[in-house]
Amino acid sequence: MSTPHSDQPAHVKHYFVSSEQQFDAAKMGMWLFLVTEILLFSGMFVAYTIYRSWHPETWAALSTALDWKLGGLNTIVLLGSSFTVALGIHHIQKGNKKGLIINLILTFLFAGVFLVVKYFEYSAKIEHGLLPGAAFDPHGISYGFDYATYNVPYGPQFFSIYFVMTGIHGFHVLVGMGLFAWITRKAIRGDFSAEYYTPVENCGLYWHLVDIIWIFLFPLLYLI
Amino acid sequence: MSHTEHHITSLKTLSIVFGALVFLTVFTVFTAQFDLGAFNVPLALAIALTKASLVVLIFMALIWDNKVNAVILAVGCLFVVVFISFILLDTEYRGDLSNTFEQTLMDERLEAERAAMGDTEAAESQAADH
Amino acid sequence: MSHSANGMVNYLNHDKGIKSWLFTLDHKRIGIMYLVAVSLAFLAGGILALLVRIELLAPGETIMSADAYNQSFTLHAVLMIFAFIIPAIPAVMGNFALPIQLGAKDVAFPRLNLASFYIYLIGAAIAMSALIVGRIDGGWTFYTPYSTSIGDGILFVTAGVFVMGFSSILTGLNFIVTVHKMRAPGLTWNRLPLFIWSIYATSIVQVLATPVIGITVLLLFLEKAFQIGIFDPALGGDPVLFQHFFWFYSHPAVYIMILPAFGVVSDLMGTFSRHQVSGYKFVALSSVAIAFLGFLVWGHHMFVSGQSAVSSVVFSLITYLIGIPTGVKVINWVQTMYKGSVQFKSPMLYAIMFLFTFSIGGFTGIMLGVLAIDIHLHDTYFVVAHFHYVMMGGNVIAALGGLHYWWPKMTGKLYNETQAKIAAFLVFFGFNLTFFPQFIMGAQGMPRRYYDYLPQYEGYHQLSTYGSWVLGVGLFLIAYYLLVSVFKGKKAGLNPWGALTLEWTHTTTPPDHHNFLETPVVTRGAYDFHLARHLFEHGGEVTELEGMGDGASTLPETPATEDATV
Repeated sequence: MSTPHSDQPAHVKHYFVSSEQQFDAAKMGMWLFLVTEILLFSGMFVAYTIYRSWHPETWAALSTALDWKLGGLNTIVLLGSSFTVALGIHHIQKGNKKGLIINLILTFLFAGVFLVVKYFEYSAKIEHGLLPGAAFDPHGISYGFDYATYNVPYGPQFFSIYFVMTGIHGFHVLVGMGLFAWITRKAIRGDFSAEYYTPVENCGLYWHLVDIIWIFLFPLLYLI
Repeated sequence: MSHTEHHITSLKTLSIVFGALVFLTVFTVFTAQFDLGAFNVPLALAIALTKASLVVLIFMALIWDNKVNAVILAVGCLFVVVFISFILLDTEYRGDLSNTFEQTLMDERLEAERAAMGDTEAAESQAADH
Repeated sequence: MSHSANGMVNYLNHDKGIKSWLFTLDHKRIGIMYLVAVSLAFLAGGILALLVRIELLAPGETIMSADAYNQSFTLHAVLMIFAFIIPAIPAVMGNFALPIQLGAKDVAFPRLNLASFYIYLIGAAIAMSALIVGRIDGGWTFYTPYSTSIGDGILFVTAGVFVMGFSSILTGLNFIVTVHKMRAPGLTWNRLPLFIWSIYATSIVQVLATPVIGITVLLLFLEKAFQIGIFDPALGGDPVLFQHFFWFYSHPAVYIMILPAFGVVSDLMGTFSRHQVSGYKFVALSSVAIAFLGFLVWGHHMFVSGQSAVSSVVFSLITYLIGIPTGVKVINWVQTMYKGSVQFKSPMLYAIMFLFTFSIGGFTGIMLGVLAIDIHLHDTYFVVAHFHYVMMGGNVIAALGGLHYWWPKMTGKLYNETQAKIAAFLVFFGFNLTFFPQFIMGAQGMPRRYYDYLPQYEGYHQLSTYGSWVLGVGLFLIAYYLLVSVFKGKKAGLNPWGALTLEWTHTTTPPDHHNFLETPVVTRGAYDFHLARHLFEHGGEVTELEGMGDGASTLPETPATEDATV
């Protein structure tokens, strides 16, 4: 039996040789996980591309049904949350635990704002029957606009893709909030330091990816 | 143990990048107000790609990271491209077996135009010629 | 700590009780748990296969209704593919042997490893519950719109496949990081055992392809639950798009199934030929090449689906390319034997068997990749025979070889070699008798999945069914003597095969809880027998550990208390 690495910091697991090896392994694992996320979303982007190329007139007509102001607001909110995550990591790398905690809480709040905005968007769609597939039934008049004009062929496909894409993305935001609640608790408990902040780094990577997916979803769905 | 220092991105760099991301968001909304025809989609995608690259390289610090992580990401993106492009190879050419030849395509178009004009007699005489 | 039969503390006896197994983070124990789970899945799937074959013994109803028949072959396929073949070699032998071959104490993420085992169990349970909820028929491919028009059971099967996919992703991710970050000092990429190379290539495919089946079954689930109209033509969707999504995963998944088999066979060829595997670098890199090319050929499953002719041609051409790296492997294996001194121990018998059965499966695959021929043979028994020659003749035969190879290390016991040879013969004979007639009747036009058939095919079906019985007897014999060996088998030595990879040269039998008594330093390649002559001075079986000095074979007992401190 080899002697345990008593000279190692407490956070290093026994099967790793060094803190550096553990950090690199965790980070590489996270990047691999992010790639699986990209491929998961790619299926939706493929469906989007195919149906858009088959029915461009539907896309032209229905992208106006999505409110670019709310979508744009959410884009800025998510970019802000990415920024605060990056700031948090910057602070903990310099040993500033308070700076980390503040930025983690800010990130959590930004994510919450994103979901609240999303909630208002969804409820407006549901109210007027802008729903996926068989449930598609645009109706009602709002601000003098008759929603029935959105009743175009292949409209159900557009809203299926819209809801599935933003729904899966929204689910990831929700998971992200859970992750940030967890690491904020750890940060307040004092688990992290300039030497050990792997969970923060990895949650940050995850969160940036959620941001990147939205960076693509916003123009594809709301603008063009 | 050997301990290599992790790269610490400066507050200034992070702030500049955040500013650039917000500016690009405004810019893409601005350009979407104009109809640029065929350039609408490529321009929006180019802006999105620029924003995504900024996030990946600076916020996710890939530019200073272990190169193997960059390879992982590149391979992942490559296969997304494979996925989309190979399916487009099907969906954009679906039904190509029946109109392989230029002449067939022209005939079909001609026939469709005539049918649209209601000029059935001409179509019949065309058929009789063959 | 009580003494084991070997008088040594090892991973099997260092801690006792059912909890020490269920909550273990030890990759070896997780591997054993996977072995039990996938064996049960194989048993269930195998019994269904035997029932299907009995039904086909004669035209008309033999033992079950047409409905029961459709459900049986569907469940056979789902179980065998998602619950057995995909996890079989990577999760069982990969988990057991990969960290040790790397000289690591464990995989990079042991917790994730245990989680992926339970995720697998949950996924399998969800998929099985479809049996109770409703009938699932129409095959394992779940083609729309048929799959969304049958009962709600499909919701459970897709959810189960989705969950098992996560397990597969996590295992692959874990192995990639482990191979990159946890190699022992001196273990360069050029010295890695070929088993590692192929598991590494497999893991790449698992990580890149499995998420797509995730989104596919999710969309199928939503299609069924909310009629979202992406795949259902009645709602404006495109059923061929489903086939693209499905095969983008499921074709690479074929390589998730066969690449680990290549790895096992490479290790067996090297070890039992006592020779460096010839063309080591080519064999290693061809695994990676197959992994990547495997992503570019999925459309060859769709030649008659109505996809565009231009994509059919492209997919057909790329399909031929796969033959090149595969051929590189087969030729190098043969050459390894040609130059080596071959020992016909039972694991090696499976490796040689693999050369025959897999080559037949591979060549018929190239035939099916030819556009014109595929139009004729599509959805016939020729295809059934082809993929059973690849999946069973490839993966299962190699898995059996690997199991016989690592069994002494896993359990510390030797099985009865005579019985093993008889069983190997029965499996080989039974397998070919089952599936070769299917090539012939397929070429003559017998469609797959049919409940009934014309009298002209009866002879072939009878041969095939009799063959399945011989195969079944062989497999049950294997289960019998392996189980007997656990209780009554002779104690296995440190290195009964004279292999040169770390699990044989640097660990006790069975291995210590932490794998190595001291961190190994690697000084030669995995098959450099010419650099290890000193190990073979006393004949075939090597009885001392390397780097441990004299008397390593009679190591003193390790105090169990040390485990807690590490």
